[in-house]
Amino acid sequence: MSGRIVVGYTATKAGADAVALGSRLAVASGASLDLVLVLPNEERSVITPPDPGYDRYLRGQAEQWLAGAAAKVPASVEHREHVRYAESFAEGLTAVADEIGAALIVVGTAQGGARGRHTIGSTSTELLHSSDVPVVLAPKGSRKTDASAAVPRITVAVGTRPGAEALLQTAASLATSTGAAVRLLSLVTVDLPPTVDTGVIRLAGAAHADDVLARAKAELSADVPTEVVVARGDSIETAVRGIEWLPGELVLVGSSRLAQPRRLFLGSTAAKMLRELPVPMIVVPRALGPTVPGATHSVEGDR
Amino acid sequence: MSGHEGAALAPTTDQVEGGLSKKGLSAGTVGLIGAVVIGISCIAPAYTLTAALGPTVSAVGFQVPAIILVGFIPMLLVAFGYRELNRSMPDSGTSFTWASRAFGPWIGWMAGWGLIAATIIVLSNLAGIAVEFLFLLIDQVANTQGAIADLAFDPFINVAVCLLFVLGATFVSYRDMQTTQKLQYILVSFQVAVLLIFAIAAFVHVANGSAFDASPVELSWFNPFAVGSLSAVVAGLSLSIFIFWGWDVTLTMNEETKNPEKTPGRAATLTVLTIVSLYLLISVGLLSFAGTGTKDLGLGNEDIQSNVFFYLSGPILGPFAFLVSLAVLTSSASSLQSTFVSPARTLLAMGHYGALPERFAKVSPRFFTPGFATIVSAVVASVFYAVMRFASEDVLQDTILTLGMMICFYYGITAFACVWYFRRQLWDSARNVFFMLLFPLVGGIILLYLFVQTLIDSMDPGYGSGSNIGGLGLVFILGIAIIAIGIAIMIWQAVTRPAFFRGETLSKDAPASLRRRVA
Repeated sequence: MSGRIVVGYTATKAGADAVALGSRLAVASGASLDLVLVLPNEERSVITPPDPGYDRYLRGQAEQWLAGAAAKVPASVEHREHVRYAESFAEGLTAVADEIGAALIVVGTAQGGARGRHTIGSTSTELLHSSDVPVVLAPKGSRKTDASAAVPRITVAVGTRPGAEALLQTAASLATSTGAAVRLLSLVTVDLPPTVDTGVIRLAGAAHADDVLARAKAELSADVPTEVVVARGDSIETAVRGIEWLPGELVLVGSSRLAQPRRLFLGSTAAKMLRELPVPMIVVPRALGPTVPGATHSVEGDR
Repeated sequence: MSGHEGAALAPTTDQVEGGLSKKGLSAGTVGLIGAVVIGISCIAPAYTLTAALGPTVSAVGFQVPAIILVGFIPMLLVAFGYRELNRSMPDSGTSFTWASRAFGPWIGWMAGWGLIAATIIVLSNLAGIAVEFLFLLIDQVANTQGAIADLAFDPFINVAVCLLFVLGATFVSYRDMQTTQKLQYILVSFQVAVLLIFAIAAFVHVANGSAFDASPVELSWFNPFAVGSLSAVVAGLSLSIFIFWGWDVTLTMNEETKNPEKTPGRAATLTVLTIVSLYLLISVGLLSFAGTGTKDLGLGNEDIQSNVFFYLSGPILGPFAFLVSLAVLTSSASSLQSTFVSPARTLLAMGHYGALPERFAKVSPRFFTPGFATIVSAVVASVFYAVMRFASEDVLQDTILTLGMMICFYYGITAFACVWYFRRQLWDSARNVFFMLLFPLVGGIILLYLFVQTLIDSMDPGYGSGSNIGGLGLVFILGIAIIAIGIAIMIWQAVTRPAFFRGETLSKDAPASLRRRVA
């Protein structure tokens, strides 16, 4: 994947998490980084009078912050820095990603969660609702993982919904570019109302899972080493908690069926998973646009 | 990467001042209407009038309209100087930065201090007014006949709710939460419409003979010489400085407007015409409805002076009085936010240039606001309000009078800074003679005179609300204390952080004449 990865940066721990994870993905896949700091544009300011002096100060500060972030990127990774003005963080990032044809957008998740876990803030939520590029959520503490650490394995959470093709396609290209193995995962207990007896869920879930996984495996190329696992539990949370993870592993999930085509949206299952995940999660849109990660893209190799 | 990196992206490594990043913004986003809306919501006419009308009547009686008209003159003159300085050195430190560049660090520091003190005082007054109207609004909607409205005058409830207001405004400012443009337009239109209805209703009462103390409108109301005493005019003027305070933002919006040649001038004119007409209409309307008597609803009644709309909206508008409460509340609330920006940005600039600890220069990495400076302003405003609520018999009136004095102080310095900073360019053109020399100089002299005279008059224990400590008027003590504390902190900073005071971070300057360079 010699494409470009957009890192949404803020001078916070969440921002440092995003830079660290972005660097690791760039090292593993040979991509370049675009560190983007989004400043609010003036159009949204309807109460406070504009102040060019303050705006200049803010811009200088933003450049300083970005320089600090750039210093943390490993020397082997090509990187550029951008200050972008937009209505919101999400809007700025998706606009940059569209312009440069980025393969991924990496953001840190909001503060306040437990170490190593995700908590989704309003900015991440907005991004998940609006991006047509896969979004990588860096859990709190990602900055403590070494950037040169490899991506040993990619776990793909498979469902039966539309979007599985895009999901598998992304998984395959990520696996090829990073040299990772693929693990297909199905969670049981999906989609049955909570009032249904748990024994029934288990049975229904197990049959459902084996079927789904078999079909998914058939879709993946034989070149990619693939294993299959079914996680069982009374709830999504307990199911996820029982799974073992390799250090540096990534999880791919498809976006919700409620999302419009080519837009992301985190479904309730993915949201529940996210709270329990100790590893970075990548949310893939239902259908991919022209920018397919790993595919040869026109920006490739520029500069 | 030529094909994909559009002009909108400015890589920081090689293009700091180019393209979109010139000022870092999508230039030219503010149109004429947008500029007027920002101007009106900064002035907050509903709030300003309810706070300033009473004290002005107590100073000049029926001649309020005259004082409003005259008071606009020094404001306008100084605003011209302000505009020149802003064009030459746009900086978030405004008065602080400009005075430092013109007169050096000591005077610059005090100008910054004056600005911060004035904005912090107005923050506490704004929140105080908002509290009274919140209770009044609840009272009107719940129809409890004043039982709830009176709660606002319990000092403990009052201070507690006021602190909540400040806390809310701090939160909103810290996170830079903005309403949508549409909502802001609606709020401003609503405010103006309610004020118009309010004034018209007052005239209708006068015509129907149902007014409280119908007083026929006389031409002498517009004649400043009819006031009689000079110190009354001075007191009235320093109040009318306050009612136009904030108007200058429309003049200083340059680069941001869609048409920098014409929009700022037109916006400022349109704003000021709207504001002056509203002020005149309402002051004349309320004067002829209630007179200047000292009993009941008379505008001379000390008990109602600090918040006249609060007492007059019911008798004038009857069941629709809640509209006035709503207008004042929304006006104070949005003004609270735009006012918060001002001390925070000045504190930030002072921190940046080393005139205050570096912490003040910190920008919140998530919300891009001067976080630390905002919180400090809020804490100081809250403490100030709480202390004043217990120390003064009429906190609102005394804070407004002190405020007028502080505005005269730092605006006066700013006006002189303009003349002195541009001293080598004054004779470059006839335009410069007027806009850099005459206008700011005359404006500055008027403000300086107002400042000194108010200081002298306020020593009288009967000045303002009549609160005094040891026979000295509270307003005088406040004014002197604010300046003395400023000097003390300044000396302390000069000892601990001498670089700024040696002129190392912000040097004195006077741009050379452009004419000589050409010749």
